[in-house]
Amino acid sequence: MALLGFWELYRWIWTTTGWTWPFVVDDTSMPHIWTIGHAFFQPTQVNQPLLITILLHKMAFTAKEAAAGFAIGALVGFGLGVLLVHSRLLQRGLLPYIVGSQTVPILAIAPMVVVWINPKLPTGLQGWGAVAVIAAYLTFFPVAINTLRGLQSADPRALELMRAYAASRWSILWKLRVPAALPYVFSAFRLAATASVVGAIIGELPSSIQDGLGGAIINFNQYYTFEPQELWATNIAAAVLGIAFFLVVVAAERAVVRRAPENVA
Amino acid sequence: MTAKALLARAAQWLPALVVAAVVIGLWQGLIVAFHVQQFLLPRPSAIATTFWSDRHELWPAGWYTFKEALGGFAIGSGLGILAATLVGRFKTVGTALMPVFIAANAVPIVAFAPIADAWFNPFSPHSKMAIAAVLCFLPVMVNTLRGLQSSSPRQIELMRSYAASELTIWRRVRVPTALPFVFTALKIASVLAMIGAIVGEYFGGATSALGVLINSDAQIFQFTTAWAGILTASLLGIGLYLAVAVAERGVVRWAPRAQGS
Repeated sequence: MALLGFWELYRWIWTTTGWTWPFVVDDTSMPHIWTIGHAFFQPTQVNQPLLITILLHKMAFTAKEAAAGFAIGALVGFGLGVLLVHSRLLQRGLLPYIVGSQTVPILAIAPMVVVWINPKLPTGLQGWGAVAVIAAYLTFFPVAINTLRGLQSADPRALELMRAYAASRWSILWKLRVPAALPYVFSAFRLAATASVVGAIIGELPSSIQDGLGGAIINFNQYYTFEPQELWATNIAAAVLGIAFFLVVVAAERAVVRRAPENVA
Repeated sequence: MTAKALLARAAQWLPALVVAAVVIGLWQGLIVAFHVQQFLLPRPSAIATTFWSDRHELWPAGWYTFKEALGGFAIGSGLGILAATLVGRFKTVGTALMPVFIAANAVPIVAFAPIADAWFNPFSPHSKMAIAAVLCFLPVMVNTLRGLQSSSPRQIELMRSYAASELTIWRRVRVPTALPFVFTALKIASVLAMIGAIVGEYFGGATSALGVLINSDAQIFQFTTAWAGILTASLLGIGLYLAVAVAERGVVRWAPRAQGS
């Protein structure tokens, strides 16, 4: 609420004083809150469904991509973390590239990824499957890093005890390392939840997939000078989706991790 | 550094170099062996050649985008640290606002890139700086705040019992404990800034910008040039990341294993 008030106040001050720094404030750059709110319940064109219905459909589509991407990325990330904790050699060999992989501008690669992956997918996955892979690319990184760190955080005395009992690597992993890693893993999941939504939106942008929020952003961006409130409404939908993903992970974390994960993010 | 220490360092990096050599070799070999079409995935040698032959176009474009990212990184991180310092002074405000910031952090900010372009002139670097800055702000702010709040209560009590002023406590206890957190955030932000600048350029920007260049090359199926552009962007991103990591080594000497990567 405070944010909405601040928005209108800022708008009012800047329009009445005519300040143009840092940017010109008018109905195009900052539409009224009520204009944006009103836009949700207006059809975008005559005889079309209401904007909110369209946006809900697009949100569901992007959510599907992001959820699939999150699942793939979380599995790959967790697997990588487990693999790396058992081999210093692999850690030294792969870790720099795992970090480096995130500096690659995914938006630039997205069209090529879509071109490669799409033909190989069954028809049910056409289009959105490739975007899920892009979302997974952004998701696996925090999960891999935090899983590794979490698995390493197991109490060394407990590790020694397990080894003294001749416990297998497998049981050390599941009985000791994974429980120790869970708070770390979940704090990575929180980052990954957001990253998967970002990845899904970014993946849609250059791959000309119209059914999701990314497509809607491109579409409404072209009409921004006439209908700025529609782009704003789309962005609000994207924000809601991101926060919803985040809250789902937080709820899952509450259910699974009972200990307070202190400062592990 | 003695010769022995140098050798030890080299041995540490050896596995990474071997992996790189194997991957690039496989990439090149498989494409040559299976005659994969150029437009799908160019050979690494072709990308490297383009990276060099188009350097007069690519490198200035990369530098242009890098400056946008750097500006956004500086503004966003600076404001983030400043805001965290202010909010951290007042504990109740900090704890009250924390959930809001964390939720705001979950907002996919790239969706706001076209609006930043509309607010600031899309052809000026300022619009990209704005996006990069907004992307950097929240992680830096949240991590700094968490760092400032994570100092041990016993240390603070000890300082108080020595009648240290709040400023001294802040300088001697809070800031040193917060610094590893701040640097973790700065490393995240360094990567985000580059992504932010390139995403911003996707929605239109100066023709001399790297994002615009990659995008237009990909659209006319000049994938070799596009990949060379991606290579440029990655190298610059890694450069910024490494610069932050080096700064961390120099500043945070007391924590040999800093928080995360």
